[in-house]
Amino acid sequence: MNKKAQLRFSILRGCLAILISLLIATLLIFISAKGNNVGEKLGSTMDALTNLIIRPIISGRGAFATKSFTDILAGMIPTIFTGLATCVMFSANQFNLGAEGGIMLGAFVSSLVAIYVPMGAGIHMIIAILASAVTVGAMMLIPGVLKAKLGVSEMVCSLMLNYVIMYMVKFLMNTKFADKSKGQVQSLPFLASAKVPELISNGSKLTWGFIVALLFVVVTALFMYRTRWGYAIRMIGINQDFAKYSGMKVAAIIVAAQVIGGILTGLGGGIEMLGRETTFNWTALPGYGWTGITIACISGNNPILVPFAAFFMSYLDKGCSLMSTYCGVPAQLIDIIQGVIFVFFAAEQFLSGYRQKLVVRSAQQELKEKEAKEGKKDE
Amino acid sequence: MSNLLSSMMTPAFFFSIIRITSPILFATLGAVIVEKAGISNIGLEGIMMISALFGSLGAYYTSSWIVGLLVALAVGVLVAVIMSLFAFQLKTDIILVGIAINMIGSGGTLFLVKVITNLTEGKPLSSTTSLITKTLQIPTVNIPIIRSIPVLGKIISGHSLLTYVAFLMVFVVWVILYKTSLGLNLRSVGENPNAASSVGVSVTKVRYIAMGLSGLMAGFGGAFMSMSYAMGWSQDMVAGRGFIALAAQAMSAEPLGSMFATILFGFAQAFGIKLSSIGFDSNLASPIPYIITIVGLVIFAITKRSKEAKRLAAVGAAAEKEKEA
Amino acid sequence: MADFKSEYAVEMRKISKVYPNGVAANQDVDFCVRRGEIHALMGENGAGKSTLMKMLFGMEQPTSGEIIINGEKVNLSSPTVAISKGIGMVHQHFMLVPSLTVAENMVLGMAPKKNGLFVDYDEAVEITKEYSEKFNLKVDPNAMVMDIPVGMKQKVEILKALVRGAKILILDEPTAVLTTQETVELFKELVSLKEQGYTIIFISHKLNEIMQITDRLSILRGGKFMGVRETKDVTPQEISRLMVGRDVVLKVEKDQAKPTETVLKVRNLEYVNEYGKTMVDKLSFDVRRGEILGIAGVEGNGQKELVDMLFNLAPVGAGTIEINGESIVGLPQAKIREKGVSLIPEDRMLYGIAADASIEENVISDRSHKKELNKGLLFNMKKIHELSDQLIKDYLILCKSGEQKVGMLSGGNIQKVVVAREFSSNPQLIIADQPTRGIDVGATEFIRKKLVELSRSGIAVLLISADLNEVMELSDSLMVMHGGKIAGYFEDASVLNDELMGEYMLGLKHQSEEEIRRVCHE
Repeated sequence: MNKKAQLRFSILRGCLAILISLLIATLLIFISAKGNNVGEKLGSTMDALTNLIIRPIISGRGAFATKSFTDILAGMIPTIFTGLATCVMFSANQFNLGAEGGIMLGAFVSSLVAIYVPMGAGIHMIIAILASAVTVGAMMLIPGVLKAKLGVSEMVCSLMLNYVIMYMVKFLMNTKFADKSKGQVQSLPFLASAKVPELISNGSKLTWGFIVALLFVVVTALFMYRTRWGYAIRMIGINQDFAKYSGMKVAAIIVAAQVIGGILTGLGGGIEMLGRETTFNWTALPGYGWTGITIACISGNNPILVPFAAFFMSYLDKGCSLMSTYCGVPAQLIDIIQGVIFVFFAAEQFLSGYRQKLVVRSAQQELKEKEAKEGKKDE
Repeated sequence: MSNLLSSMMTPAFFFSIIRITSPILFATLGAVIVEKAGISNIGLEGIMMISALFGSLGAYYTSSWIVGLLVALAVGVLVAVIMSLFAFQLKTDIILVGIAINMIGSGGTLFLVKVITNLTEGKPLSSTTSLITKTLQIPTVNIPIIRSIPVLGKIISGHSLLTYVAFLMVFVVWVILYKTSLGLNLRSVGENPNAASSVGVSVTKVRYIAMGLSGLMAGFGGAFMSMSYAMGWSQDMVAGRGFIALAAQAMSAEPLGSMFATILFGFAQAFGIKLSSIGFDSNLASPIPYIITIVGLVIFAITKRSKEAKRLAAVGAAAEKEKEA
Repeated sequence: MADFKSEYAVEMRKISKVYPNGVAANQDVDFCVRRGEIHALMGENGAGKSTLMKMLFGMEQPTSGEIIINGEKVNLSSPTVAISKGIGMVHQHFMLVPSLTVAENMVLGMAPKKNGLFVDYDEAVEITKEYSEKFNLKVDPNAMVMDIPVGMKQKVEILKALVRGAKILILDEPTAVLTTQETVELFKELVSLKEQGYTIIFISHKLNEIMQITDRLSILRGGKFMGVRETKDVTPQEISRLMVGRDVVLKVEKDQAKPTETVLKVRNLEYVNEYGKTMVDKLSFDVRRGEILGIAGVEGNGQKELVDMLFNLAPVGAGTIEINGESIVGLPQAKIREKGVSLIPEDRMLYGIAADASIEENVISDRSHKKELNKGLLFNMKKIHELSDQLIKDYLILCKSGEQKVGMLSGGNIQKVVVAREFSSNPQLIIADQPTRGIDVGATEFIRKKLVELSRSGIAVLLISADLNEVMELSDSLMVMHGGKIAGYFEDASVLNDELMGEYMLGLKHQSEEEIRRVCHE
């Protein structure tokens, strides 16, 4: 099968996975829809679907929904970073699920720098974000080194770390860093010098962070496909024995992949926190890590596809929240859609029969072409 | 500090360890069973959430905790079988299937509870805490004779029925694994699938059964959470217990050994609660079980290495001895 | 024993097996075994013994031909069917579950029950004891399989087959993993089984063993049946001639080698495997610039362990390995490669390639960190494309482009990718381990020519091959390995003939220490 056919197949497969999840979603919406009879229910289902699929970019009046659209773009910022981080870690075959805790840790560290370490405007923000990146990168040393040196499951270890981080951050917030004058747990406000500037000031919180995120898509893609380190990460993920035989430092690279994942996650945490919020007010894990895993899975661990997958997820998220506001369908529908899409993308044998047919057909075609060519030669 | 110690040396403290351990213990046993068959089920967390929800709803609609429990178990098995379909038929990485189930378990359950209660109660509820009353909870059992033993009676008696089931299950799972032909097949499938299939054992079938059993265990754990540990289901109530179970399994791999690992977490959590009761911030105490897990995994990895080295040395020495003989 | 229509327990008539990839493993093979005999099935690696036995045990189905068991034509569609026909197989890689006890392994899949639910473990132990005593195969029913020595594991495998009602036992190279002591014991047991009326098929290429215990022997070569003999009427020399030999002698054009200084120097190298068996026994040899030193030998005589140690893929038990006078023992692979060592690994899918990566990515795996392929932080993609295009051209790799996944290529082209990388890294020593195994004629010829070309340009080549044609025609000098040692060294490989080779390979002949020491050019 050539590259084009491969691509066609991948797209078809992806669309079908999305379609299946939307069908399941429709069914769930129908069950939850308002109405006393089937007709009414169908009506409100249609209404809900309109909100889910069309309203995020086209308003009720048929115009382009600018605010909603910028909301979607702003929503992509943290998940692009966690998506990229997961791409890097999963490429090395390291099932590190620590992006969830990592982004909270990063957000917290950057907040502290933003509040307590005054610096000049601009440089302050950069230092705060870098501090976050370094901290989360260092944190990922734990699952990385334990895996490389002792064979401890990076998955279980990173999952545990997520909880440790959450509670430690909550503890520090409660005891040391809370703004006691406020009713809820939140920090003192960030210094203005540390704020990530907005790209468009319409309340969407679409900041320059978005541009930086896209920049990092390119950087990560370059890193993975155009540098010796990214190359080594990918080769280890494909065949660890081959990498060892070829002379790569397998253990070091396994650690490095997770540290790089941590750095990307940390950047995301800092940028999101200093862009969207004015004080640190997270009291639970934000869920960006899990969305990042979905995004990496949909994009097949290819960084270039991450923004598209992130857009898709953010779009769905927006659609779900519109649906919940206007039609009373609970917004958490997104988790079910996400889960369903996720498994179908991950299912290797999904449509494998069809793929086999394509392979055979393309092989036959090649053979025919070859024969035709040789036939000509004979004449 | 002495204050802390004296408040720990009470029957109530040990009672709470047992109570906290129970739901995790179910999940741990589920993890032990599947790992023996060579599969990692990281979806235990999600299955527990889903079972907990449907268990509490089942109990409420039928006004019977027994039906609620049965619903929780059935849902647990069903979810595990669906996971198996994806993993074994569609060749999806079992870890990714687990992640998907956890996604549905965390947010999807909230969606479901809102939708279902909206249909039946006329308004969307974001938990079932208002639906589960004392009578719908899984009953507690006061064991005659034992309860009148001083100290010990206060620790052991008066727990939820499922607590006793949980500790009984340690034995049952051990019996299944080591005393039945299913267990024999299951362990051989996990260790050397070729050996198993060469004598006519169906590897896929055994793995389905193992997943089903782990779903059953997670179902028990879920029911315990929403119908005994707490009154009703609420969001993220399982709070990583499914993941802790994975760690407990990784620390021993055997029913009894991982039970002790689970009790260690129970202790850590009970200790944390004690700490916060004497004025420490609970958030300082809460991460203790998770930290202990990581430390435990490291110790386990190191001892496993030296054990393996010793074993190989012993086999080598035996061969050497035979050579000389 | 019951009345049988035929004197034969097994008749395999006109069996052919062609694999989907076109490889013909067996062609018109007639293999018949009399009831109650020990029958050896002999042949070099790749002669088709394993395929033939897999068909007899129902793991593979013949493309054509028929199988008759005790006079009854059968269709052996799976091992379960084969077991029901009284056939049992002891695989070379044991089909045992390490953490189960011996008794549990014995009854796996057919466990005796009590109360309808539980495994009757005592009964399992009883069964094990009963069979153990009946056949005088001593095992400890309660020991865990992982804790018992390999000889006992084999006994468990034999008992496993017997308890399932096997009357015909296939043993696939049973002595390969055994110590001498264990082998002696096994033979006693096999003879006793024969006396009790069991039929035993014994796969081996160890001549002395076969002469010792078998009644008859059949020989395969290159997938074809070479004949069946009564063991008592045959000489080792005749077996060797039938088994080792070339149907077509392939000639490789090459000039006289002019070896110069030593590149690889190996002294007293030893390797003991995890079961305590010495696989490489005080091996010493040199490979010099400009020569191809061949290592011939039946597989399993220490070649694999030797190569693994040379490239630090297995720990060195004792001894030294030097490249140009510097020790490489314990160095990471990157450092070994830096010293100019290249390896064509025996298992190309395991070590040689990353199947899911492109050709381009596969050819740069050993040099991705080098200056010439990088421009600052980034890869110099132009250079990489150039390199890969050049290699594809030079090594005639048949593909659409360098971006094609290696896993999609044919076996021969996959091997060319490996060879292209290993040959182009500017090596001083090339270790070529089975460089042409299982690949097409065109690719084979190409790789062999390249090897000669490189050696003549002043590179030291160590060639390990089970292919007689290859090792005899390509090597300038040649050594034969047997039992982890050098059985013979021949300064000039061209004086050797097939017959002589066979005798050294099968351990019939052995040179003196002085003669062997000549391979160390000191």
